Amino acid sequence: MSAAVALGQRSLREYMRSLDAIVPTLFIPIFFLVVNTGQAAKIFPSGSTPFLHGQGYGAFQLPTTLLLASSFGAAALFLVEEIEGGYFDKLRATPIPRAAIVLGRLIAEGAKCVAIAAVIILLALPFGITIASGAIGFVLLILLTAGWGVVYSGFMQLIALKTRSAAATQSGGLVFFPLLFLTPNFVPRDMLTRPMEVAATINPVTYLMEALRSLILEDLHWAKIWPGFAVIAGLGVLMLWLNVRVIARYD
Amino acid sequence: MIEANGRPGAPTAAVEARGLVKHYNDVEAVRGVDLHVAPGEVFGFLGPNGAGKSTTVRMLTTLLTITAGEARVCGIDVTADPDGARRRIGVALQEAGLDPRQTGRELLVLQARLFGMSAADAADRAERLLALVELEGAADRRIKGYSGGMKRRLDLASALVHEPEVLFLDEPTTGLDPASRLTVWEEVRRINGRGTTVFLTTQYLEEADQLCNRLAIIDDGLIVRQGTPASLKADLRQRWGEDREPTLDDVFLDATGRSRERIAGEVQEVSA
Repeated sequence: MSAAVALGQRSLREYMRSLDAIVPTLFIPIFFLVVNTGQAAKIFPSGSTPFLHGQGYGAFQLPTTLLLASSFGAAALFLVEEIEGGYFDKLRATPIPRAAIVLGRLIAEGAKCVAIAAVIILLALPFGITIASGAIGFVLLILLTAGWGVVYSGFMQLIALKTRSAAATQSGGLVFFPLLFLTPNFVPRDMLTRPMEVAATINPVTYLMEALRSLILEDLHWAKIWPGFAVIAGLGVLMLWLNVRVIARYD
Repeated sequence: MIEANGRPGAPTAAVEARGLVKHYNDVEAVRGVDLHVAPGEVFGFLGPNGAGKSTTVRMLTTLLTITAGEARVCGIDVTADPDGARRRIGVALQEAGLDPRQTGRELLVLQARLFGMSAADAADRAERLLALVELEGAADRRIKGYSGGMKRRLDLASALVHEPEVLFLDEPTTGLDPASRLTVWEEVRRINGRGTTVFLTTQYLEEADQLCNRLAIIDDGLIVRQGTPASLKADLRQRWGEDREPTLDDVFLDATGRSRERIAGEVQEVSA
């Protein structure tokens, strides 16, 4: 574990020294929040839209912003640089568990997503968005967002390890957009057309989004919250296992 | 295993390979390499581009899987116990494997931590290594600002962090200016002088002649010559049956079936 922590500290230093690569992960999701809210807020007025629970449409869109912000996978692009530059081989030549090589970057990605989620939520508060579930909900929101960041970064790292190409890794990141739009992104699941509802039900990101949304719009509603954490735990274990497997067989 | 050096359990070979084979799909990069490097040697591993030098080194250093055959480093089977082998070896590969966003000091401290040292010991070790490779002045600068020679020296220092018994250097002077090359040579001699076995791949025959006690020449995935530089030259002189003293260049050209004319042609083709 100490090797993973040491590598995590290094990756955090890497982020701190590459702020130009981090700023878009904050700017673009906020841009989408403003644009989506601006386009649909009149269709869904807070007073007459029950699924908003008295808040504005921005509160309904905030989970999309948080998920988008944690799905840039900068860690995987740094990994490709590391593979191309030879430092990845240097790490593979050390007697540390292969899982530590994966976990180091994921720990840093998690920490980065905690910071980004906190900034986005705090920026949203002055615009009338409230966290209905209170302080505990605020913490859970951040944990869910950071957890998703770790999972998605694990997926991107997998592409990086398999392709060793920055272009392929960046393209792989675009997979998130179909995942995001096959969710109850603009309206609740029961208001989607039947085919979209089926697609959203199959899509694991839906449960994450619904967990985040319930924390923002409702009080602690555990029946909606735990599926989000279950998605992160299941996919997290899967991604870690696949990453370690690829590194162990890396030639 | 035969014991040597008067130390019970000490392996007779620092590096040993038997029938080492590596296939990439249909390509046979290494086709059955046998090697024996004694403890304390500087062993040169020569060959033309694409002959299988780096592939062999990467198998010996646990970075590549072995298709067939076996390899041992300090008596440890690199396939059966890769972490055991990793603890005994230092590796500086062809491209200086450094993280450009870290400082030289941070890189060495991290490397020491990954070999199990405490934070205090790692800091102390980094300080001593920075002094050894004369990078104290640049220790707290980011590596991306280092010159090629500085990067190579730092890479060498990072390979020495855990005081390995065998140091693998894959073309350590490629791309360096003559002064930096001489500095690396001095480093290699100094490291070897303290008892570390050095396994050196190089394209520079002068380098092999200057540094190596013994060498092997690989061509097309097979070892085609092996011995001391003097014995390889003597063997060629005997086969020539002339008074002219062969150089290591002549040995290399003879072993790889190349001629100076052919190599000149290859160079022209490349540059055209």
